Amino acid sequence: MCQMRRGRFNRAVGIFIALTASGAAALLWFAVAAGGPALSESPSQGLFFGFWSILYNTDAPAPRVLLAAIAMALLLAAGVAAVDRRIANRSRRSADPLTGPLAPRVVMAATRGEFAGPVRVTVLIPAHNEEASLPLTIDSLLAQSRRPDRVIVVADNCSDATVALARAAGVEVIESVDNKQKKAGALNQVLRRLLPDFGDNDVVMVMDADTRLDDGFLAAAVDRFTNDRALMAVGGLFYGEEGHGLIGQFQRNEYLRYSREIGRRRGRVFVLTGTASMFRARGLRTVAASRGSSIPGTPGDVYDTAALTEDNELTIALKSLGGLMISPEQCTVVTELMPSWGTLWAQRLRWQRGALENIGAYGITPQTLRYWAQQLGIGYGVIALGSYLFLIFLMVFSLDTWIWFPFWLGLGALFMVERVATVWKGGWRARLLAVTLFPELFFDMFLNVVYLKGVADISLGRTASWKHVTHVRPLEPTGAKRP
Amino acid sequence: MTAPATVVIPAGILFPEALLHSQWFAVLATFVAINTVMYAALALAKILPKVHPSDWIRTRNERSETRSIHPDAGS
Repeated sequence: MCQMRRGRFNRAVGIFIALTASGAAALLWFAVAAGGPALSESPSQGLFFGFWSILYNTDAPAPRVLLAAIAMALLLAAGVAAVDRRIANRSRRSADPLTGPLAPRVVMAATRGEFAGPVRVTVLIPAHNEEASLPLTIDSLLAQSRRPDRVIVVADNCSDATVALARAAGVEVIESVDNKQKKAGALNQVLRRLLPDFGDNDVVMVMDADTRLDDGFLAAAVDRFTNDRALMAVGGLFYGEEGHGLIGQFQRNEYLRYSREIGRRRGRVFVLTGTASMFRARGLRTVAASRGSSIPGTPGDVYDTAALTEDNELTIALKSLGGLMISPEQCTVVTELMPSWGTLWAQRLRWQRGALENIGAYGITPQTLRYWAQQLGIGYGVIALGSYLFLIFLMVFSLDTWIWFPFWLGLGALFMVERVATVWKGGWRARLLAVTLFPELFFDMFLNVVYLKGVADISLGRTASWKHVTHVRPLEPTGAKRP
Repeated sequence: MTAPATVVIPAGILFPEALLHSQWFAVLATFVAINTVMYAALALAKILPKVHPSDWIRTRNERSETRSIHPDAGS
């Protein structure tokens, strides 16, 4: 009964997002049509450098329209940011242990005047047949300037040398027992054993077996946890590994922009990445105790095993309970990239579907507002980019002469600067790809198609799958995760 | 995100040029134009250094007590 209700709610998410985004576009369309747009004039002829004869068209939207569009965009962006900020501040100042059991004031009141010992870091590495990448992951941990106190490989249904390699590297191994709920299920089993013995300054780090920490990660994070006992989580900033040619560069550029954005937000977190994030034991215990009542999931579980993107879900869970979190710029990790369009498609479809299911499960709450806005933003972007490409297509096939549009050329230059500036740190390859503009536009279009497929699948109630495809291990059997 | 129409290539003509002078095409062009300008404004905002207006005002953000795990640490 409960599951049916949840399934229906999930389907409504897709329809709600699709209707709202296309509603906004339709509104603009009708406003334009009602205003009676000026029909395009014929292009004029001019001379370039005195000898090339060129056709150009000085058409540009009326200044009034331009100003309105600019104001609209900036107001929307600032509005979302302001609401986001206000909500964060309000929950930070909450003193109600019932609505915000992890809110800083509540945590501070509970831990005031007691010293629970220095910060201790226990690293959990969930691994399912990860013999190829696990040794590097463990090396990156043991080479940290501030070494972890305990490293535990959570071996989940491994049939390769994962367990033997972990033991050889000198770290602990716990094997999951009868686990059919993949990574989240395996982690839940181990956390159920560990958490009761953990004190207030015990910190759990969960990191993927295909990820490597940069040096300084643990030192910076432990510093944060030491200086702020109300801090519940520290998230990693991930960037892409080298290699994989063009498709690798697309992903590296995308991750660079994401990291830059988090930096500009001064580390305020969107998602505590599953690649490497750290949690105070109190935060995880409170999540487990709140599931089934104030947040969705099975009581006693830290991770929601029904979520396709369990890291995103845990982020929303902690935020919903008032927990404080940050992504410091020193906490960087290198993560694996998808080597082909097929694997990228599968990964992104899972992310997209998972993100929609997560906000569907929580509904529209102050803490999820940012995530709803993000989904709507992408939805509108799909329409905007689609109509733009359609317009170009029509023009290309309706004219038989070159016509230059100085106004639009100027805007094009602005986009080029933006694309390049946002990946500047990535070196000349990143900049080169960005400056050519169109390849990245088509990469965006690829992601947009994934987005549409995700929205359509969820709206039509199609079964989602957890296809974890990588170049180092065989395809996992796909299974239905959510009814 | 979207880049504007810059160049029109003299490719084989699939559609009559009159299409470009029709009313609905003008609506489409204006619709795209407004969107493009909106995204351009956002792009510009992304290039410029971000301002944090909250830095300009001194607020009650100063902590009244230590939040360190050491109870006797200075705040």
